[in-house]
Amino acid sequence: MEEDGVIQQQAQEDGNSTITEAVQLPASTPWPMVLALGVALMLTGMVTHWAVSLLGFFLMLRASWGWFFQVLPHDHHISIPVQAEILVITSTRTTRERLPEGFMHRKIIPIETFSVTAGIKGGIAGGIAMTVPAGIFSVVRYHSFWYAVNLLAAGGFVSWAGQTDAFLGQFHLKGLLAASAIHGLTSILIGLLYGAMLPMFPRKPILTAGFIAPFLWTGILYSVLGVISPILNARIDWLWFVLSQIAFGLVCGFVVNLQVKVRTPQFRALPFSVRAGLHGDHSDTKDGKQ
Amino acid sequence: MANATPVMEAIDETLAGKRPVFEVVYEWATTVDHKKIGLMYIFLALIFLIVAGIEAILMRIQLAVPNNHFISPQVFNQLFTMHGTTMVFFMGMPILFGFGNYLVPLMIGARDMAFPRLNAFSFWISAFGGLLLYFSYFGASGLYGAGSAPDVGWFAYAPLTAKVFSPGHSTDYWTLSLLLSGIGTIGTALNIVTTTICMRCRGMTMMRLPLLVWLFLITSCMVFIAIGPLTAAQIMLTLDRYIGAHFFDTQAGGSAVLWMHYFWIFGHPEVYILVLPAFAFVNEIVPVFSRKAIFGYPAMVAATVAIGFISLSVWAHHMFTVGLGAAGNTFFVFATMVISVPTGIKIFNWLATIWGGKIHFATPMIFCVGFLFQFLIAGLTGIMLSAAPFDWQLSASYFVVAHFHYVLVGAIVFALFAAFYYWYPKVTGRMMSETLGKWHFWLFLIGFHLTFDFMHVPGLLGMPRRIYTYEAGRGWEMWNLIVGIGAIFQVVGTVCFIFNLIRSCFRGEIAGHDPWDAWTLEWATPSPPPSYNFAIEPTVHSRRPLWDLKHPEDPDSDYE
Ligand code: HEM
Ligand SMILES: [Cu+2]
Repeated sequence: MEEDGVIQQQAQEDGNSTITEAVQLPASTPWPMVLALGVALMLTGMVTHWAVSLLGFFLMLRASWGWFFQVLPHDHHISIPVQAEILVITSTRTTRERLPEGFMHRKIIPIETFSVTAGIKGGIAGGIAMTVPAGIFSVVRYHSFWYAVNLLAAGGFVSWAGQTDAFLGQFHLKGLLAASAIHGLTSILIGLLYGAMLPMFPRKPILTAGFIAPFLWTGILYSVLGVISPILNARIDWLWFVLSQIAFGLVCGFVVNLQVKVRTPQFRALPFSVRAGLHGDHSDTKDGKQ
Repeated sequence: MANATPVMEAIDETLAGKRPVFEVVYEWATTVDHKKIGLMYIFLALIFLIVAGIEAILMRIQLAVPNNHFISPQVFNQLFTMHGTTMVFFMGMPILFGFGNYLVPLMIGARDMAFPRLNAFSFWISAFGGLLLYFSYFGASGLYGAGSAPDVGWFAYAPLTAKVFSPGHSTDYWTLSLLLSGIGTIGTALNIVTTTICMRCRGMTMMRLPLLVWLFLITSCMVFIAIGPLTAAQIMLTLDRYIGAHFFDTQAGGSAVLWMHYFWIFGHPEVYILVLPAFAFVNEIVPVFSRKAIFGYPAMVAATVAIGFISLSVWAHHMFTVGLGAAGNTFFVFATMVISVPTGIKIFNWLATIWGGKIHFATPMIFCVGFLFQFLIAGLTGIMLSAAPFDWQLSASYFVVAHFHYVLVGAIVFALFAAFYYWYPKVTGRMMSETLGKWHFWLFLIGFHLTFDFMHVPGLLGMPRRIYTYEAGRGWEMWNLIVGIGAIFQVVGTVCFIFNLIRSCFRGEIAGHDPWDAWTLEWATPSPPPSYNFAIEPTVHSRRPLWDLKHPEDPDSDYE
């Protein structure tokens, strides 16, 4: 059955093989084109001569009239005889290599992967973890937990740009809300990005999330922070910043690792013996080379 | 087996004197068949591709050496305006909508578009729009003085378009022709949306739509949102110019920045309107030639929807240099960077689709590989430009020109070529020549990289865009020469392509219904498809209906 020969079309398969002799299709009509020409000429008159517009106007009227009777009271149709009774799908180019018809012939790799939501969960956890080093830094250096919070929030309030350290050390409800929003949103977005990248690095989420990603992210931020938040740029301590990023990444990677991997359809299609772990899945490399 | 294409049939019969030319022309002019309309769109776009390509070459000749007097400054202004406008509105959009018109009904198993007559109208009004644009060359001071061709750039910034700075009708040609083609674009988008929603065959649920159809659906929705502001702005500009309104007239209290907002609220989504269909082609071609199902179908759909939404909110990254203020810039920097998330998802999914597949490097596939690589690089320079301070340095330089051509040519045009090679057998019943295809690919690839890789450099060295010549001794000469040479390579490549298109029509190997061993419904009808598309309206059970037909023992529906 599966040699590439003749493949019968749907009709027989579904048993609804009432083959119609003719198909009704809308009849051709010149009026859409004439209408378009009319409209175009009406505008063209604006750059040439009003007489052109006038001509366009009459064409438009005539075409609308014609079009109207094309569709009212009934759509004009023509019937086209159907030629083929049963369509066969043949391929004259059968020389093309086909995937071997083994159980891997519909490869979808990787077999297991993390889901995108794993990344989001990781992002949330990482976001929470990140507040710890940031908080410690803030307390040690400025004797107030609120300093870090307000500094982040200041990105959203242009008026805070010139504020003193003392001001930033106090509690501001507005600051807390803004900082939570900014921090929460970015953590989730970054989590989402991890989630999307994870299928590409299914084996080492800790490495990806914990080190490579924070490194890239910090690099990007380092170069653009001046625009995103000048105030943060002026006062940031990069050492602590990198530390918090790594905290984020490690926790994020850890949480992701706790998640169950989802099986891709490929896995579900494997024979039971393989799924149950009775057989290894080594044919992969063999048929890759062939 | 393969019957002749409608095109060939027409040519043959006319040559053999069986049917008078007039009759054939009349048949095409009055057709409401979505396939013929699609072909006419593509034909129109190819003509404009050649015209705008010639304009590009003229500019490159002028810039190849310093202090050149090949063309006058005024003509240069007209050239870049006409080149940009034509490429975006009369090459890019029509060619993509041409493919959409042809493929969407076939892929969802429908007999036609939802509104066949509107479809014809949309095509013709876009075509007349293009004619009007080029008619400007005959206006006022005639062809050799280059007439009154528009010369205000494809984004036509105010107040340059005001009557005082742009007397005569050149700017009016620009506005009016885009108004016309805008109507057509909206009509086609409406048609595609309705067709996709209402005319799917049995079993074709939304989550079984071929990704190409999904992407055209989203593109069309974006058209609704994007074209409106452009049309509004153009009507306002027309009022300014004809009856002395003052929307954009800064002398009378109007605002030039208002124009920029209107224009880019249209202009940025427009970039995605052009690039999403390119993604669509890649989505279909890469799995077929990797012999694997597309990886992450739902994620692809979600990412596309996300791109659609986000891209509507980033327009002002084209306006960093206007002085929007810190808060404004911050928002748009951030919004722009966020787009890299869904775009990244797409790139990863393509790579995962290729990964481990049995890759067949036929011409459509190599163009897709070129696409992937170049789109990645274009994305990177895009991220660079989305950082406002960087943009302040390079905004009006050749760096930007290089960046957007990387997207427009490196991604979109490459994907388009892939689509031509892939669907040509369906349309004509014959294969395109692989040998010529490979020549085309390599010449074009080399030319592309010579031109647009090296164009970044004069940009970084401070060469502004839209200058008609420059002095020697600024370190730009060599780079511009290389860029010019690259352009020649691209021309030669494109000539191979056009030659291939025409030759294969008569000499190409007979293709059969399904030469690529593909998975979507359009390959389940004869090539070329009869006017009713499917003798029996198909029923589908999975995302890859042809797989199911070929492998009844192991159907795809088990995997969804
Ligand atoms: C194939 C080779 C191409 C070459 C050699 C080329 C060359 C050029 C040149 C020299 C400019 C003028 C830059 C300036 O002075 O500002 C330009 C502008 C432009 N091109 Fe192309 N181009 C090519 C293809 C394309 C394509 C395929 C598209 C679109 C799909 C496109 C869209 C544009 C746009 C939108 C502009 C901006 C016009 C403006 O500055 O107002 N180009 N191109
Ligand atoms: Cu943009």
